[in-house]
Amino acid sequence: MIRVSNLTKHIGEVQALADLSFDAANGQITGLLGPNGAGKTTCLRTLFGLLTPDSGTAEIDGIDVAKDPLGAKQQLGLFPDPFGLYERLTPREYISYFAELSGMGRAEARDATARVITRLHLQDIADRRCKGFSQGQRMKTALAQAIVHQPSNIILDEPTRGLDVMSTRLLRDILKDLRDQGHCVLFSSHVMQEVAALCDKVIVMAGGKVVAVGSPAALCRQTGKDSLEEAFIQLIGTDEGIAA
Amino acid sequence: MHPSQSANVSKAYLLSRCRLGAIGLFALLSAQALVLAPLAWAEATATGTETGDASCYVEGLADRLKCGFITVAENPDKPAGRQIDIHYAVLPAIKQSHPGEALLAIAGGPGQSAIDNAANFDRIFTKVRQQRDILLIDQRGTGRSHPLNCDSDPTLEPLALDDTALNIGAEAGRCLAKLDADVTQYGSLQALADFELVRRKLGYDKLHLYGISYGTRMAQLYMRRYPEHLASVTLDGVVPMQQSVLAIAGAIDRAFELLLRDCRETRACQAQFPALADDLTLVETRLAKAPNLSQSRDPLTGEPTPLTMTLGKFLGAIRMALYMPNTRALLPHAIHEAARENYQPILGLYALTLDGAGMAMGMHASVVCGEDMQRLTPALKARTRASRIGRDMLDGLGQTCAVWRVPAASADFAEPIASDLPTLVLSGELDPATPPSWGELALARLTHAKHFIAPHATHGVAFQSCGNNLVAQLVESASLEDLDPDCLSKDVRRSFYLNASTVETIPASAGKQTAAAAPAKEQP
Amino acid sequence: MLSKLLTLVRKELLDAARDKRSVMAGLYYAIGTPLVMCALFMVLIAQLASPEDLDIKISNADRAPDLVRYLGNQGINHSDSEDAAKIRLVISQDYPQQMAKAKSAQVTIIADNSDEKLQTSIRRLQAQLQAYSSEMGSLRLVARGIDPRVVRSLQINLEDQATPDSKGGMILGIAIFTMIYSVFISGMNLAIDTSAGERERNSLALLLSHPLSTRQLVLSKIIAVTLFAMLGLVLILLVSKLAYTLVPWQELGFSISISPQFMALMLAIGLPVALMAASMQLFVSFMAKTFKEAQSYLTMVLFVPLALSMAASYNIAPDALQWLPVSGQQQALMAFIKGREIPMLQLLVSSLATLALALALALGMERSLKSEKVIFGL
Repeated sequence: MIRVSNLTKHIGEVQALADLSFDAANGQITGLLGPNGAGKTTCLRTLFGLLTPDSGTAEIDGIDVAKDPLGAKQQLGLFPDPFGLYERLTPREYISYFAELSGMGRAEARDATARVITRLHLQDIADRRCKGFSQGQRMKTALAQAIVHQPSNIILDEPTRGLDVMSTRLLRDILKDLRDQGHCVLFSSHVMQEVAALCDKVIVMAGGKVVAVGSPAALCRQTGKDSLEEAFIQLIGTDEGIAA
Repeated sequence: MHPSQSANVSKAYLLSRCRLGAIGLFALLSAQALVLAPLAWAEATATGTETGDASCYVEGLADRLKCGFITVAENPDKPAGRQIDIHYAVLPAIKQSHPGEALLAIAGGPGQSAIDNAANFDRIFTKVRQQRDILLIDQRGTGRSHPLNCDSDPTLEPLALDDTALNIGAEAGRCLAKLDADVTQYGSLQALADFELVRRKLGYDKLHLYGISYGTRMAQLYMRRYPEHLASVTLDGVVPMQQSVLAIAGAIDRAFELLLRDCRETRACQAQFPALADDLTLVETRLAKAPNLSQSRDPLTGEPTPLTMTLGKFLGAIRMALYMPNTRALLPHAIHEAARENYQPILGLYALTLDGAGMAMGMHASVVCGEDMQRLTPALKARTRASRIGRDMLDGLGQTCAVWRVPAASADFAEPIASDLPTLVLSGELDPATPPSWGELALARLTHAKHFIAPHATHGVAFQSCGNNLVAQLVESASLEDLDPDCLSKDVRRSFYLNASTVETIPASAGKQTAAAAPAKEQP
Repeated sequence: MLSKLLTLVRKELLDAARDKRSVMAGLYYAIGTPLVMCALFMVLIAQLASPEDLDIKISNADRAPDLVRYLGNQGINHSDSEDAAKIRLVISQDYPQQMAKAKSAQVTIIADNSDEKLQTSIRRLQAQLQAYSSEMGSLRLVARGIDPRVVRSLQINLEDQATPDSKGGMILGIAIFTMIYSVFISGMNLAIDTSAGERERNSLALLLSHPLSTRQLVLSKIIAVTLFAMLGLVLILLVSKLAYTLVPWQELGFSISISPQFMALMLAIGLPVALMAASMQLFVSFMAKTFKEAQSYLTMVLFVPLALSMAASYNIAPDALQWLPVSGQQQALMAFIKGREIPMLQLLVSSLATLALALALALGMERSLKSEKVIFGL
């Protein structure tokens, strides 16, 4: 469960977030949709405490990130963009490293790593170094890292960028799985199809604030358009920065 | 640096100090006789525990040495009796590549201190020391090891003294009374046991020996008694075991003849001193009749002093000058001047011999009386008496040994050394103490030995030629295989002095030239 | 807390060990430097030592045959070769005349004294001429019935406190310098890789998104880099110990040996330096925007401790240097190897200063990692 209330943030001269507020509930996939420069990444970084907001709060499972960053991050899994792989480590080493950093013991981390490797069908590459991996292999490794410690909240930053069809499908299945298990899944994207196919709830952002909130169908209804894409363009008032 | 003799004029001097025996026997090796006062025991922390080692310094050497001593019974048969300290000094290897080895350099005399001569050994054995320690031991009765010194009667004035009138027996008795020692315990064999104890204490598995002069006797005894602890041996100016050192008298006569021959065969010398042999005979005859009495100046203090030039002093001064190529070069001039009744050059040479080069005369007598005096054959005695200085030598030693009463060494002492150790024997053609024929004698039963004769060297080949490099090579390889004696033949002769100032041919004009005109004329 | 630190360090080391560039940079230096230095010194020794047989060109040799033979006995000979002409000895025309009248005869050495290869040989020739001169002087006095000791009014003794080791002080200074340098060099690539590189590969933000404190992160990186630096130090000590024994130092009259005691002391003293070096390199690298930029900054920053160390290895250093980081430790090490008493107070002060500097840099880094600018390289 993620809650953002009245976040504002300036980066240099630019106002990145302007009084941003939204919720992402457990058992739901929430999509953060917006054109490039809408403030999606800034928003996510703020959730991880990497950026300090000028005002407003970010809460993870009710824990204020600014007040107890470690406690808040304990409940988070991050699928970053870019992935941030260590090329000289194998996926198994990489995943279990982050599992331990998320608070698991060594043995516990090892077991959890083995489980997530099976789950994501990573067995054949699990003990090869990451250097030279395909985009799909990288995505799976990064995803495994994000979910290995079974966080209640999983945040994905542009997860499908550069993925092939098979990988995208796999990702979708996993995210749905996580949702069905009651996790709160929040992902940012500017890809319409993704959002349409996956999200229970879409938060449309532009210029650092929420423009509209609702299920894809509700948004279509609200704008009177047939497709989410049309609805989106209608909502943000431009087609700049949209990918089909 | 190519080592060879030092800058100092003289090197080996013996005890021609008249008190005891009037003669020194073997030559010794002190290089700095001309310059240095007796060397002081400069020790950083002089007294340590019985086995303690300390760093110390010796004169003429800036390096920090490792010094120490062992305490032994003076008489091995009376272990509870008088205890004496045997001091040693180690010139540490610059780069210790062979910690189990050292070069033991043994001094001559007998009676010289090896440690006092550390600077000379260091100079000639620079190469050896690069990788191995050099071990110096003051043999019992010398240097710092319970020295048996016989200080001269201070009322006797050596320049004025008529040494023919001296009662040597009484002098010896006076010295013996003052010594706190059993003088029969200061022979070579007792000292050999000390050397071996020092080796064991310092933990060297193998020693390379270098013996000079009397030191070759110690080296040969070492070869006989403890060959398993030796890696190589160099005998420089060797006194073979078969030889009584008193045969030196013949060697001295031979060296006089070689001097006369060399001058005769050198054009400039022959031109300047055409009748040198006659000059010598003239002075000998004159002084044999009566000493020459004159007023002179003390060579050191400049005080006026009566000078009694006796035949003994005259021959002793020449004999000692023959030890070193550079003083030898002055002899034709000195003899010629003496024939003209000018004894100043002889006085100068005689003065060089006066401090006896720090010889411990008591120890000298202990060795010679026990090991040499009593094995004189009648034939050798007769030959010696017929030689230039033999009579005085025998008389003096006879009186001393009568007082010293050292038992004769056993007969097998004089057996030749049988050994298969790599042994380098070095002789100087011009040696006034241990001529090349003695080197041949030493070879008798050495199966791995080479004898090299340096044609221009006197006593102590390693000090005057490339001999020291041959020693370094032998130490490094422990083999005689590649030793090449060619370098010993290099012409390193010293030109004879033609007057009191020059060794170079005097230009015809120089004598007549006025002092003022000469430089102007000669500048090109 | 501790287990996370362990996890971090373990990963840093694993990652670094697999990084050829980081490993090689350290290894090449630690192994190569002593070998290169030893090779250089071997060449240098061969050039600086006067040859056993020194050939020079002697003019008017016929005027002073005794002198020429004397020099020959000392291994100094006349030769007509081109090499020999670099040192010329000219015997004056009036040498015999002057000698005969007991006046000073002139001999002139003509050589380029600024040529290092000749200096030893020139000094040697001078010394031998001096020796010949004083020998003749002595014999002239003897010939006049005077004891030559009268002209040696002073007997000058030198008791040199040096040990064969301490005589090589200058070279040891350089050797110690290379060792201290290795502390800086061995960890440098890792320091850049794990900071600027980490950010460049986008893993820094990911790391910081995890529940760990920046202190843990900073500590783990300092520990990893320090371990690498110390590994380099151990290596260079071992290689030096072997390599330095191969050089014929004894020809210069001293020895250089790396004793186990020295190695232990070097490691003990090297640890604070390594901590400081690691903190400094990480700090600077975090400040840089890219890997490349970090490299160039570090090269500049490295100059300071190295200049300190270099200055301390020569005697030009002002006394203040013995209290400062790096130079203080260097001087203590040199005192040890020269067999002198180690200046404990100075060593303590400089080591504490080194540690204080390391701590300050670590704290600075901890702070800076909370800044968005540093995390994202903005």
